[in-house]
Parts: sequence; structure tokens; C-alpha cells
Amino acid sequence: MKWHIALGMLSFVALSALLAFVGFNELARMQAYREATAAREIEAGALTFENNCRPCHGPQGKGIEGVAPAINAADLFNGERLKSIGFAGTVEDYVAGVVAAGRPVPTAGTTYPQRMPTWSQRFGGPLREDQIDSVVSFIMNWRETALAEAAPVVSAPAGGGVGTDLAMRLPTGDAVNGKSLTEGALGCTGCHVLAAVGPAWLPQAGQPGIGARAETTFAAPDYTGKAENAEQYLIESVVQSNAFVVPGFQPNIMPANYGNRLSAQDLADILAYLKTLK
Amino acid sequence: MPVFRLHIPFLDEVKAKGVRNAVRDKADDVVTRVTAGLNASAVRAVLRDDPPGRPNPRLTPHAEGFWLHMRPTYYNNLMDGLYPTFRLGWLSTFFFVFEIVTGLFLMVYYTPSPLAAYQNMLNIMGGVPLGSLMRDLHKLGAEAMVVVVALHMLRTFLTGSYKKPRQFTWATGIVLLGVTLFLSFSGYLLPWDQLSLWAVTIGASMAEAVPPEVVGRTINLLVRGGPEFGANGLLRFYLLHVLALPLVGIVALGVHYYKVILHGHSLPPHAEAVGEDTAKRVPMDNRTYFMPKILTRELFYVCALTFGLVLMGTFFYNAPLELHADPLVTPLHTTAPWYFLWLQGMLKLGDKVIWGVIVPTILGGGLLVLPYIEVGPSRRYADRRIGLSLAALFLVALAVLSFMGTPWYGVETSPEQEAVATLLPQTHPGPLRSADWEQLPIGTYEASQWSSAPTPELSALLRTFHDEVSRVNNASRQEAEGLMVIENWQTGLKKVTLRVVWTNQADSSPGEFSQVTYLHRDAGYEGE
Repeated sequence: MKWHIALGMLSFVALSALLAFVGFNELARMQAYREATAAREIEAGALTFENNCRPCHGPQGKGIEGVAPAINAADLFNGERLKSIGFAGTVEDYVAGVVAAGRPVPTAGTTYPQRMPTWSQRFGGPLREDQIDSVVSFIMNWRETALAEAAPVVSAPAGGGVGTDLAMRLPTGDAVNGKSLTEGALGCTGCHVLAAVGPAWLPQAGQPGIGARAETTFAAPDYTGKAENAEQYLIESVVQSNAFVVPGFQPNIMPANYGNRLSAQDLADILAYLKTLK
Repeated sequence: MPVFRLHIPFLDEVKAKGVRNAVRDKADDVVTRVTAGLNASAVRAVLRDDPPGRPNPRLTPHAEGFWLHMRPTYYNNLMDGLYPTFRLGWLSTFFFVFEIVTGLFLMVYYTPSPLAAYQNMLNIMGGVPLGSLMRDLHKLGAEAMVVVVALHMLRTFLTGSYKKPRQFTWATGIVLLGVTLFLSFSGYLLPWDQLSLWAVTIGASMAEAVPPEVVGRTINLLVRGGPEFGANGLLRFYLLHVLALPLVGIVALGVHYYKVILHGHSLPPHAEAVGEDTAKRVPMDNRTYFMPKILTRELFYVCALTFGLVLMGTFFYNAPLELHADPLVTPLHTTAPWYFLWLQGMLKLGDKVIWGVIVPTILGGGLLVLPYIEVGPSRRYADRRIGLSLAALFLVALAVLSFMGTPWYGVETSPEQEAVATLLPQTHPGPLRSADWEQLPIGTYEASQWSSAPTPELSALLRTFHDEVSRVNNASRQEAEGLMVIENWQTGLKKVTLRVVWTNQADSSPGEFSQVTYLHRDAGYEGE
């Protein structure tokens, strides 16, 4: 019977030693756990951003001109943007507030056609608080790289833009390069592929792709533009986006400045790609 | 005459006996009061296993103390071995107390609201010293308690201890089994992660099947606090978990204990004549006194068990915490908690009303009234062949049904989803998240080319992926291939796309399934 007492004492001592060991490591463990939690929050935020923010703010948050501003940009993280609108809090507070509550009034001097919607469920939006927090963490994780590459996001190509003349002669296009251009900072896919802000490029629901539609639209009775063939129709759609707005969509959503942003080769590549979408 | 007179008798004693003797006698007096009858030297004698004096002072605490009057003064020597009790009843009580202690700790840091609960979990794990350990212990204790209570019931059945006069003890035991299961189940929802929400959703949806429809719908609304789990449902489960069920448990446990003392511990079946109950008539030379033997052994159990549990919680067991609960995202392979898998298995047999409501009700009711129906006088194994065979059959059925409750049985899944879920499961970190972040170089990789992957970990992942993807090939799908695209996404963040492509045989059209995940350098899944 005495071995009960001996073993009991031994267990008690062992338990105390174990708890001392746990206690000794506890602060470091807690710190590691908080760091892991912060990292996982960024992971979760990346997915939420991709599903909800990318359609307007563009891939990698570089912004889509005429749709929504860049958030992966130096002027946000270095405080200039906050100064220009007179916000006194931190960048993180600003991002959190705008994501949660939206921007009912646009920043003075900007002409974005849509308002930043309300995202938090607290204000009637679709996202939970933890999702808002994770998106903010994801956005704030751009800080380092955005400040490093403080160059302007959108610039005219060397040798000037292609212009807006429908009868222009274009070089031979490369569809593969065109595809990657549309997925880049030009922001095309944000509205035409990933979301239904603009007419869908890919064939869906019985409707053929943009390449096939271009061959018939310019001859349709309700067409109001000046294109005389499929090629011109596509050029007009890119560089004179408001000349003809496909029924069911709003004018002034698509930026009208692609004539200045694209080189002749870029436009030719994009057209070559669009023609493959039938 | 003074209005107020202060008299301290201790000072009189100091005056009479001197300080040293007075203090010693006073201390002895205090010990005697606290132990309800044992002075310091008697306590020492108990711990040293000295023979008791006459009259035996160790009987007084059983007669006069509150706690020990719930314990027998002596046990039959036959009950002192591991058989027949296996200490399972005592262990159940131990875990009940263990859960209350660890649960109280967790309660301090918990708010029953969907807005706060998950954040509270993260805070308990990362912001409260020993919080993570307490959470592990609480969960570990809960799982162990279910096992111990179920085994306790099984043992009671096997030794026939539920028979006259202990029928009501058995019935309160069934109530306690129910309390244990529902305590564990209601605790499931509280972390408000995906695991909680969906396990409990499965369980609660059974309540909806109760006929007639209006009753089922009402019960469902009462349990969930709305058509879907939300703030109301969480609060209700919380109150069940911390208030209602423990209250029922404490009352039932009190009755259960009282009945055990009243009737005595039933002896091993062979130890007494058929139809007799001699538990309370223990011959003088066949007694093991509670003090010192049982008491010191129980103190040893408490120390050893606590040590073992803390050891498990520190090094071998982590209570899971999945992503934040999301009613819009159903994870692949959602299951009920393991102790309700048999129920989930039964639901796959057919009608929800019959298998989800009627059969479990008959089962529970049958167990409750078992000792009033099964009134055969003999507790001996040889006389109870039918009963024991039925119990064995019941256990086998439970095991088979539990297997049927798992996703491996009778669940239609698509092989391409399975292939992706093997690397990237939705219910635990899995191999891709646990892989070394640095060993996932940027690039596009074909699973079939796993042998030429640039790093060993990526090669292993691609090989697993390739093996799984090959199952996508069947009569209507051919040329299945797996692709893994790893992109640099942000500072310390990579985007990984897992894509399965195949060719449909019918019209040679391509098919595709893909899933995206983001991996952060510091996410720390390696250890999980």
C-alpha cells in the first residue's frame, strides 16, 4: 500500500515539474501562435480579396483605371492619400473602415463610376467581421513591396498610344501575349471574365464568345457605332468604349483611355486573342 | 458592568499550558474539525498505514463529515481488486470534476456570441498563459469521459449489477450517460469553427425529423434558435453546456452515489448465491477500510491521472480548431462527433424518422427500463448467455454502424475532388499546408512528372497527387492529369492552384476541377 503513496508523491512532483516546463516555454509558444494566427489571417484574406475585391480593384490590387483605384500602391501606404482626404487615423484604420463601411462619397477629383460598397455585415454587407479583418491583413501585407516600387502604376507606352482611329492598320497580333495582357494590369478580365460588370468574353449560357459576336454585332439593327467590320468593331470596343454600349450594360463603366495606354502591337495582340474566343 | 466583553479562550490556554503546548493543541483541534474527527496524529497514522486504535477513529469522518458520508466506511475485499469495477465509476466522477475545473477556466475567457467566440478561441490559444493547455485538457477529458462512462455502463451490464435491488441506480446511470454525451456534444459548437458548426448541424438536423412535422420543426427551432445556427443557437448550446446539463448531471450523480452507498457495491457474480445480495453484509475479516487503503490509492490516482493528462495535452494532443464557422461553405467529409457516428450510420440505412428518431428513442428507453424488464434472478455469466450474446451483438452493431457513419461508407464523392482534398483537406491542415514553405518553388508542375520535381517535399506531394488523380480515369473519363501551379503572391505568401484535367469520352470535351489555396511562410502548420 505504501507504494501508492510513493507513486502518488512522485506523480505530484512530476506534474509540478511538467507544469514548470510548460510555464517556462509558455510565453514563447504564445508568441509563435500569434504569429501563425496572423499569417493564417493573411491566407484567408487573400481568398476573400480574390472573390470580392479583385473584380474592381484588379489583380494584385493594382487598380483598374476608371473602375476602382489601386490599393497596392505607394501613396496609400506612405500616407499621401490619407492626407489628401484629411483622414487622421492610421492606414490600417482607414483600410478597415473603408472595407467595412464602404465609401458613399467619392474622393474629390476622382471620377469612378461606382461607389465602394459596404462589405461588413455590421453595416448590411455580405462579409463577417473576421473576413473584414483578414482582408485588411492581406491588404496591409502589400505595404513593403508597394513602398518599394513607388513608380506610377499606369503609364503610356513608349512611342505613344495607338489612338482611337477605327481605320488604323495594326501589325500581326499574338493571341498568347494578348491573353496575358488582358489578365495583367489593364484589368480587362476583372470585368469581362471574372465578373459580369461588362459583356462576358467567354462563351456561356448559349451565347457565343466575343470573337464570334464581333462578326455579327456591327451589322445588327440596334448597333449605333461606326464600325464596318468585325475588326473595327473590336477596335472601337477597346479604344472608344462609349461609342456603342451593348444593351443591358451601363455607359462610362469601361475606361475610355485605352487608346493612350496601348501600343499598336498590344492592341493587335489583344484583338488576336479576342478573335479566338468563339 | 461592561457593555461588551471580548473573551479569547486561546489566551487562557496559553496562560495555563505555555505557548508551545497551546499552539500544538490548537492546531490539533483545527485538523480534527476540518477532517471531521481525525486529529493530526490520526491523519499521520492513516498515511503511514499504522493500525487504527480502538475505537477506530477513522470511522468518525464517515459518520460526521459531509464528503466522506458519501463513501463507504469499508469495502469487501472482493471489491478491492481491479475486477470487477475497473474503477470506472470513480473515473467517471474524476472526469466530471476535471471537466468542471478546466471548463471554469475556459469560461472566464469565453463569450457565447458568433461575433466573439472564434476570436476568444484564438485569444485562449495565443493570449492566455496555459490557455491552450487548458483547452486541450478540457477536450481530452471530454473524449475520455465518454469512453469511461460507456465502459462503466458496459461493465455494469456484464456483471449483472443492474439487477434488483439496483434498478434505479442503473436508470440514473443511463441519465448520466445521456448527460455525458450531450455535454460533449453541446461543447462541440462553442468554438464556432467549421468543425463545430457542421458536426452540430448534422446532429441537430435529426431533431427536425421528429414526427409529426409541426413538432419536429418546433423542436428544431427551439434547439437552433432559428432556421439556421446563429447567435441564438450558440447561446442556447452554451447555456445547455455550462448550466442546464451540469445541473442535471449533479442531481443525477447525487442520486446515483446515494444509491450506491445505500445498496453497497455489488459483489462479483460468483461470490454470492443466486438471488441473494450480500453487499452490505461484509464479514469482519473480509473488510478493506476506506482509510487508509482506498483513500491513499485514490489520491494516487488523482495525481497520476492529472499528470498523464497534462503530459498528453502538452506533447501528444492538440484540440483541433478549424477555420471560422461559415454557414455557406460545407466542408467535404463532414461527420458527427465519433460517439454519434453510429447514429449517422443508421441514418444512411433509410428513413430519417425511423432510423434517426424512432430507433434511438426505443434504444434509449429500452436501456432506461432494462432492469425492470430483464428480471432474471441470476447474475452469473453462465445463466445469462442470451443477454450477454445480445450485448456482444449490440457492440458489433455499434462498431459496424459507426464505420457506416464515416465518409468511407455510402457517400458518393467525385474522385477529382477527393484527389485535391488528399493534399488540401478542408477539415485539417493536410500535407500541402504542412509542407516546408521554402520547398515549394514557384512554377508549374505536372503530377506525373513528380520524380523530376526540384525539391523532395514537392516531389512527395506531386507523387501523392498523381496516385490520387489516376483514380479519376474511368469508363467515361480518360487522360486525367494533375497540375500544381505555385505563384509568388505577396510578401511571404504563395498562391497554389491544384488542377485536375481530364477528357470526357462521350464527346472528347475537356473537364476540369481546380482549387486554390494561399500559403504563408509563417502559418506554422508543420507541427500539426
